[in-house]
Amino acid sequence: MKISYNWLKQYFKSEISSEAILDALPLIGFDVEETEVLGPPQMEHVVVGEVIEYEAHPNADRLRLCKVKTAEGEAQHSIICGAKNFKAGDRVMVALPGAVLPGNFKIKKSKLRGVESEGMLCSAKELNIGQDHDGIMVLDSSIALGTELNTLYSDTDIIFHLEVTPNRVDVLSHIGLARELVARFGGNVEIPNIQSDLPIVDSLESNAVLKSLKVEASDVCPEYSAICIESVQVGPSPDWLKQSLESVGLRSINNIVDITNYVLHEMGQPLHAFDSDKLSGQSLKIRHAKAGEKITTLDEKTHSLNESMVVIADDSKPVAIAGIMGSADAEVDERTQSIILESAYFHPSSVRKTARKLNLSTDSSYRFERGVDPKGVRYGIERACDLILELAGGTLIGKRVQIGSIDKTLESIEFSPEAMRTFIGFSVEDAEVQSVFESLNFKVDKNSDTHWSVSPPTYRKDVSRPVDLYEEFIRIYGTDKIPSKHIAADGINATDHPIYQFNDAVGAYMTGKSFNEAFLYTLRNEDEVAFFQGKEHADTLSLKLENPLQSDQSHLRNSLIPGLLDVLDLNLARQNLTSQFFERGRVFRMLEGQLVELISVGFIALGKDLERKWLDRGAFDFYSAKACTEDLFHLLPFKLKERAWTPIEASEFWQPKHSAQAGDLTKEGYEASIGLLNIKNIKERWGLSNPIFAGSILIQTELFEKELKRFRYQALSNQPASMKDLSLVVDHSVLASEVLKTIKGFIAQSIEGFACESVEVFDVYQGEGLEAGKKSFAVSMKFRAQDRTLKDKEVNTLFEAIQSAVLEQTNYQIRK
Amino acid sequence: MIEKTLDAIVEEVKEMSPKLGSRAEFDSFKSTISGPKGKLTEVMKLMGKVPKEEKPAMGKKINEAKQLIQTSMDEANKRIEESELLSSLGPTIDPTLPSPDQAKGVLHPIAQVRDQVVELFQRIGFAVAEGTELETEYYCFDALNIAKDHPARDMQDSYFMPDATEMANVSKESDEKYLLRTHTSSVQIRTLLKEKPPIRIVAPGRCFRRDTPDATHSANFHQIEGLYVDKHVTLTDLKATLDYFVKMVFGESAKTRLRPSFFPFTEPSFEMDFYSPNLGKLSNQWLEIMGCGMVDPEVFKSVGLDINEYSGYAFGMGIERIAMILQGVDDIRYYYQNDIRFLRQFSD
Repeated sequence: MKISYNWLKQYFKSEISSEAILDALPLIGFDVEETEVLGPPQMEHVVVGEVIEYEAHPNADRLRLCKVKTAEGEAQHSIICGAKNFKAGDRVMVALPGAVLPGNFKIKKSKLRGVESEGMLCSAKELNIGQDHDGIMVLDSSIALGTELNTLYSDTDIIFHLEVTPNRVDVLSHIGLARELVARFGGNVEIPNIQSDLPIVDSLESNAVLKSLKVEASDVCPEYSAICIESVQVGPSPDWLKQSLESVGLRSINNIVDITNYVLHEMGQPLHAFDSDKLSGQSLKIRHAKAGEKITTLDEKTHSLNESMVVIADDSKPVAIAGIMGSADAEVDERTQSIILESAYFHPSSVRKTARKLNLSTDSSYRFERGVDPKGVRYGIERACDLILELAGGTLIGKRVQIGSIDKTLESIEFSPEAMRTFIGFSVEDAEVQSVFESLNFKVDKNSDTHWSVSPPTYRKDVSRPVDLYEEFIRIYGTDKIPSKHIAADGINATDHPIYQFNDAVGAYMTGKSFNEAFLYTLRNEDEVAFFQGKEHADTLSLKLENPLQSDQSHLRNSLIPGLLDVLDLNLARQNLTSQFFERGRVFRMLEGQLVELISVGFIALGKDLERKWLDRGAFDFYSAKACTEDLFHLLPFKLKERAWTPIEASEFWQPKHSAQAGDLTKEGYEASIGLLNIKNIKERWGLSNPIFAGSILIQTELFEKELKRFRYQALSNQPASMKDLSLVVDHSVLASEVLKTIKGFIAQSIEGFACESVEVFDVYQGEGLEAGKKSFAVSMKFRAQDRTLKDKEVNTLFEAIQSAVLEQTNYQIRK
Repeated sequence: MIEKTLDAIVEEVKEMSPKLGSRAEFDSFKSTISGPKGKLTEVMKLMGKVPKEEKPAMGKKINEAKQLIQTSMDEANKRIEESELLSSLGPTIDPTLPSPDQAKGVLHPIAQVRDQVVELFQRIGFAVAEGTELETEYYCFDALNIAKDHPARDMQDSYFMPDATEMANVSKESDEKYLLRTHTSSVQIRTLLKEKPPIRIVAPGRCFRRDTPDATHSANFHQIEGLYVDKHVTLTDLKATLDYFVKMVFGESAKTRLRPSFFPFTEPSFEMDFYSPNLGKLSNQWLEIMGCGMVDPEVFKSVGLDINEYSGYAFGMGIERIAMILQGVDDIRYYYQNDIRFLRQFSD
């Protein structure tokens, strides 16, 4: 909201400087986003001159070469000017060499198309006097030659662009802000007195201006006031009024319209004036709109209305959308003779809904939707009436009609100074508290020293609870007076959430493994999300937002990997040869018809480091990805069963048979995919042709509610271990996990008196010496007894039992 | 005779052994001395012919010679072993060559600032809480006293999921809509419903606003929410905690101020500004850093806490905003491009 310092001073008469006010405003809750100085700053060598004669510039048709004098006598200056809105003999503002205009524009003698110009004739905008830039300023011929600009225009104004929080509708006017400054600095608000003493009636007596006035929609409009004035002289507003409106960014229209706008910005009550001759049947009715009813508002836009909206209508059509904007049909213009002035209270939520629906926000709706002062309905119309009679003449017809009455009683709040001291945590005198409240016009009744009744004025509907009073106190008392204190931080039995603990550990681990962390947008485009399952797939559809803003951010992400590919792509395109990235974040999946938010870690790595190096370090491959992923699972703060990895046989995203999958989100609460990304599709979509390995784990949030890991000591055997190796020839399709499971099973069947510590594959072979379609696994087994050195005989007996089981129960061959 | 031969052998071994340069030379020389046909072996064979009475003396002599030979040979062996070990080491290193190993990775600058802020609050007894990015209107708005017709509730400002959306792991209060949370304040409500005071949490997380992206707006951004609820928590405690935070992040010379403001879920509400003499271009001006205030009684009512017994404070800050101030970054979008040259600027 814009506040003019000059305008403000009419109500806040004080010696306080504009700088002191500017410093104080943020500290009482009104942030100043910007200040703007209107009017010319101090400028030398800018004086009133007269154009004696001019001719066309010899080398440029559009320029005029002017003979100008700035003192009585002959022409003293030859000045080139591009404007054409002046004639010989006109008095104009002349900037002579040496002048510095706003924007640090220095004026000096210079040649323009071969002809010397000794200064400049100025427009209003160039001098910061007004917005007019269509031509130069042409002044009244009575102004003496040589008069300095700053003598002529001594008025400067400062405009504050204030940020007013939505709870403070009472400050959306100059008087409103003046009240706050009085609370902060002391003094009184000087509110203009009402001159016309108008009697009130609760229904209209039909007259020459208005035949009928009815409020049907009293649910939305609990109070409606109207005054009829006849024989007004509609015309331009006086300069002070024009200037006031322009200073807060409004255009002057005519005296009547300007007065309604002026009063709104003066005291906050929106008003409207209708031309009674333009009203069909000279009647007004406040009613709900009919479905499909149309209105063309003053901004020349046509709106289609519905029954939830309220309008002011004449006999045939709506002439205003209640509380928002009038229609062009009943506009007050220079031919207008009789007017009906309106002031009302419209319910905030109704105005808000309508304004939103029509996408129409006005100074008026902005205030109504935040709730105007119930007492302002009357003061506003009386103040406007005074100004109209003063500036536009006219005769009052009848009385002030007021239909309905909104509650104007002051609500009192039970207040205890002691409770407030406990709340704010420091000591303050009762008298000080009382004085702050009174500076805000809050009425204080002390029932006793400890129990006060505090009643805020009607314009402070936002203050209704003790805690609101605490806020008002601290706001005016000064937050800088809150004492400093040491932090009291006694222990609380709480630990960091396991999800945070996990992510923290993942960050340390992945960076240690040379992965760089990326942050990517959660919202992705449809193509990318559909990459997993197709556009029409129910899962793709379910991840779509109801109201995306941009088509490339329309869906929730279902994987971190595509974003990481974008990052790799961007970096490679910029010749950044980094090959490893990861992200920790949330992803979304459909599980059994329900959307779930999942904890995820994703990483990608180029199979081959693109950076040329003097020593080769080997490639990142499937098994590197597996190691990372397994480590990530081990970082989980709870225990998870061992993963059963199976090759991915078909996928658009992963390269079949070079990628694997473990877990099941529904059954086990987690899922992991690792390996080579689909070479063909990745190349098609990202243009990345090098093999890229990736890993992605997804974990249900509920798993983190599980009991956290605890580690317990188990006694170790100090006895030597005994090792046995077994080489098995199996079909190519047989997985290591299957062989190990089989062997472990056989060991469990036959072992007695000692333990098997581990069974591991240490060699895999296929090729020469083996049948086609076969491969061999070399398996190493480690045995140990708790209390003695194992004898060869007992180990051999077990080993033989295992071998015979293999021969009898499997189709593996034992390779000797 | 034998004595002479022995002396000669010892002399030869003493002379030759230091000259043996390789394992092969060593072995072949060793066999000329102690091999089956070696000189020493030959001498030993003569022992049988030595008269009985001379045997002890001769035996002693031989043993002495053997000792001497062994010592020389051991020395040679050790020397050769060492040189063999050295030659197995490969070429000597050039300490000025770069390591071919990949350097350690870096945490994202936003993550670094988040961790730094979280750590400061952990140090004064705050525990980290987590919430979901998808929330319901109730937890994001209603329970926080953000009324149905508050501007923050508009479709224009939040990303909503379609009405039919059902979520398995984010509970609804009734039949309200799901949306991407617009602030981390929703974690306040979930925590207050689940736990009993005293509660002292910080909740870092991702938030979403339906803004057109520009230098200071991004489709998603991060916040850290703080909440302390207990008996007798005061406004002075809030100020003390936030003063500590600002001084720890921006240095002892930083000044703070609380500027009265408005949030539906705190009363009184403030924006906290700080002022620092050493922030480059941003030095010596008040910079807004977070919103804060005392928990509004309406919030306590919505989670069923007695407003006469408990009080509390809450604060929320934008991590990107703090990062941009600290790191001197002037466009939020750089954080989401992930150019490695950018990421590495904030890590050694």
